[in-house]
Amino acid sequence: MRWTRDAARAVAIACAAVGLGCAGELEPPVPAAHPDDPTPRRGGVLHLASFADMRVIDPANIADGLVPRVNQAIFAGLVDYDGSGRVVPDLAERWEVLDGGRRYRFFLRAGVRFHDGEELTADDVVRSMERALHPSAPNPYASFYESIVGFAEIQDKKSEALAGVTAEGKYVVDVRLKDVDATFLPALGLQVLRPVCKSAGRRYSDTWQPCGAGPFKLLPGGWDKGRQITLVRHDGYFRPGLPYLDAISWSFLVNTATQRFKFETGALDLLQDFRQAELLRFQRDPRWKPLGEYEAERQVGAESMNTELAPFDNVEIRRAVAAAIDRDHIRLIRPGNLRAAGLPIPPAVLGANPSLPGQRYDLGAALEHMKKAGYPYDPATGRGGYPHPIRYVIYRQGLSEYTVQLLAQDLAKIGLRLDVQVVNYPSYLAITHRRGKAQMTSAGWQQDYPDPSDFLDPLFHSRAINDEDSNNVAFYKNPRLDALLDRARRELDPPTRQRLYDEAQGIVVDEAPWAFTHYYRWYDAHQAYVRGYKPHPVWTHNVSFSWLDRGPSAQAGLAPRGPSTVLGLLGGRRGAP
Amino acid sequence: MTRFVAQRLAWAIFVVWATASIAFVTSSVLPSDPARMVAGPQARPEDVARIRVQLGLDQPVWVRYRLFFRRLVHLGPAAEKAKDHETCGTLAWVHVDLGKSYQQRRGVVAILADRLPRTASLALAAVLVQAAIGVASGTFAATRRGRPADHLAVAASLVGVSAPTYLIGLLLQYVLAHRLRVLPLDGFGQTPLEHAQSLVLPALTLGIFGASYYTRLVRDEMITELRKDYVRTARAKGVSRVGVVVRHALRNALVPIVTVIGLDLGALLGGAIVTEQVFRWPGLGSLSVTAVLDRDGPVIMGCVIVTAVAVVTLSLVVDLAYAALDPRVRKR
Repeated sequence: MRWTRDAARAVAIACAAVGLGCAGELEPPVPAAHPDDPTPRRGGVLHLASFADMRVIDPANIADGLVPRVNQAIFAGLVDYDGSGRVVPDLAERWEVLDGGRRYRFFLRAGVRFHDGEELTADDVVRSMERALHPSAPNPYASFYESIVGFAEIQDKKSEALAGVTAEGKYVVDVRLKDVDATFLPALGLQVLRPVCKSAGRRYSDTWQPCGAGPFKLLPGGWDKGRQITLVRHDGYFRPGLPYLDAISWSFLVNTATQRFKFETGALDLLQDFRQAELLRFQRDPRWKPLGEYEAERQVGAESMNTELAPFDNVEIRRAVAAAIDRDHIRLIRPGNLRAAGLPIPPAVLGANPSLPGQRYDLGAALEHMKKAGYPYDPATGRGGYPHPIRYVIYRQGLSEYTVQLLAQDLAKIGLRLDVQVVNYPSYLAITHRRGKAQMTSAGWQQDYPDPSDFLDPLFHSRAINDEDSNNVAFYKNPRLDALLDRARRELDPPTRQRLYDEAQGIVVDEAPWAFTHYYRWYDAHQAYVRGYKPHPVWTHNVSFSWLDRGPSAQAGLAPRGPSTVLGLLGGRRGAP
Repeated sequence: MTRFVAQRLAWAIFVVWATASIAFVTSSVLPSDPARMVAGPQARPEDVARIRVQLGLDQPVWVRYRLFFRRLVHLGPAAEKAKDHETCGTLAWVHVDLGKSYQQRRGVVAILADRLPRTASLALAAVLVQAAIGVASGTFAATRRGRPADHLAVAASLVGVSAPTYLIGLLLQYVLAHRLRVLPLDGFGQTPLEHAQSLVLPALTLGIFGASYYTRLVRDEMITELRKDYVRTARAKGVSRVGVVVRHALRNALVPIVTVIGLDLGALLGGAIVTEQVFRWPGLGSLSVTAVLDRDGPVIMGCVIVTAVAVVTLSLVVDLAYAALDPRVRKR
């Protein structure tokens, strides 16, 4: 009987410990050693984690959302983005725009060294661009650079060289475009065409050891696939004194609960993969709140309506949907990450104009649009409305599994009924990108490069419509919008370009191929001893130039606990700071 | 006996081929595009189309099926390093080629060679834990039938069976790793000692879950055996209580347990999906989940074939073990 009692007591204590741990107070942040001293310190390893995994490290094959974080540390580009998303010099110390915007001349810094010690020259830039745009590379972004002279020829295997990119001496690179393309420079800031070491050769290979000219390098054996990668400082980096860190270490496939446990103890230095309840706890805790900040909103979420299928071939129905959605309710599904949206371009994207009138909730207007569409609906009696259910496609484990419930309620108020079909993600992509398949779907877009064209061209230009693999999932066509987007793409004068995109957004907001619902924003929390970190508008977890100010207490937090503290902790007492 | 083994081997090859064929056809006709999964949701159609050609997905299904099975097992020079054989696993002149992962862009044989030993170590450790706990507690409960210890063992096994592995895993992770910090939270570690430490929590998780079922099974079998005449005879001859339980009753009760252990081991060799995810154990379970979600056909095929081979091999081993444990089976 005594054994039984002991066992029952042990179970009760364990349950109590778990209960208290889940609902109790957060551990305090691990403090900085010298919080008042702004002088950067060299040394230390910064630890990060993600629930996802990374597949390949190569600028010519950016295969998932995690790779850019690592690429940003390994590969430097001719240009990069500054803290507001503007294109700024990096390996190129300057550039000239020639021939009315049809030619760009980049002047490289002299003496830049790759990780293998070789000097980076114009020939390396030309070779790297050809390598990334050659059809043997599984490059999902190659077509971003279709305006470069010779792109079509190299893609069609009519040429082995990219005719439009030439080395004009050791430190000068010329890039010629087929036509004026205002998106060329913003797209060049991406990592796709960044110079790679001579060991990469002229053609893509899956077995290449990544090597670039960025602030950190990958040593052989530094990447344990599916588990962890460690990058160490490139002492030959071209910016003197940088980087400060000895190394950056990412762990992959770490579930969110584990990440939170590790973050609290200081085994992780930054945290982004929060569960919603945990995020709100960190935001409300006065000790953690100053250590958290939102990243720029780069992602828009919406309800896409197929303009080729009834009832959404009727613009009044689309307007009714756009006016019927109560975006503030949707925001409450994940208040820590969502903001109500009314415009296609998230406010933090360079070239966005948050002052434009966007779509907004107005039930009276929505009912009026239903009437104009020929489907008047009386909310009092429930009579009228569109007589057929609308097929709405979403995928499992997406945000839309939750938003659809509010959407269905909102649309029921104007006489529209949804027939929700939940499929897995690959099937969702196949169905929604195929012509004539789905009447309505949840949709979204994330910034590739900070420019309005990155949102408006692929989503609403008729050129982006295809029978299969259509990026324009609303299959929306408007010759006036096409003309505006084409003009804006060729327009180099920023104010004129802004005016064209404002006008284009006005059309999209009014004709509503998408009913915009939310912008998604990620929240970053960091330890107090992580200094110099600020969320970047393009690159997630850009920690290349952060520094660590760990004190002895940071190390103590990681140590195993002694027997004297174990019983107290089992009883629910929190650990000492 | 030789004929028996030969028949079972032929049957095993057929089962593996049939399973692989069904998996190939199923993954090929699903309404989804592996090239789109590689390129990402925002890639432009022309980029997706180029990647589709690179992966050979522009070929008809029957052409891909023929190519897959032609290359699956083939002969070639032992030290062949030609481009044609870069994704092969080689044993002397015999090459096994499962192709290249669409997503990871590595040979599937190499990926499986990384993952399989980790999954095997977890499976073995888990089976050992569940067998040790299950047999001990089941025997203990059976010998104290109707007493509080028996009720407690039955109740505990009910809780264990009812609790999903992720709950057991998170509980153990929270108490032993997060609060007490006596074991790693997750991962695989770098050194053999760290591997062993990292193995404890996932093995315990699976072991506790499996042990609950074993406890009930062993208890019921032992109660049946302890009622039989030979037990009474042995006791009358003066064999000690412990000797009767361990040497006579338990040995007979273990025959059905061996079947379950064999099947469990086969299933676990296919990967303990949830537990591997919770503890970030880099085994076949997490690999197959990711492969299915990414529509990574070659990796799906690799996981299916490994699982099928493990299950049919363990079934064969169980049949042979039956014969070793029970002389009546040998005579048949």
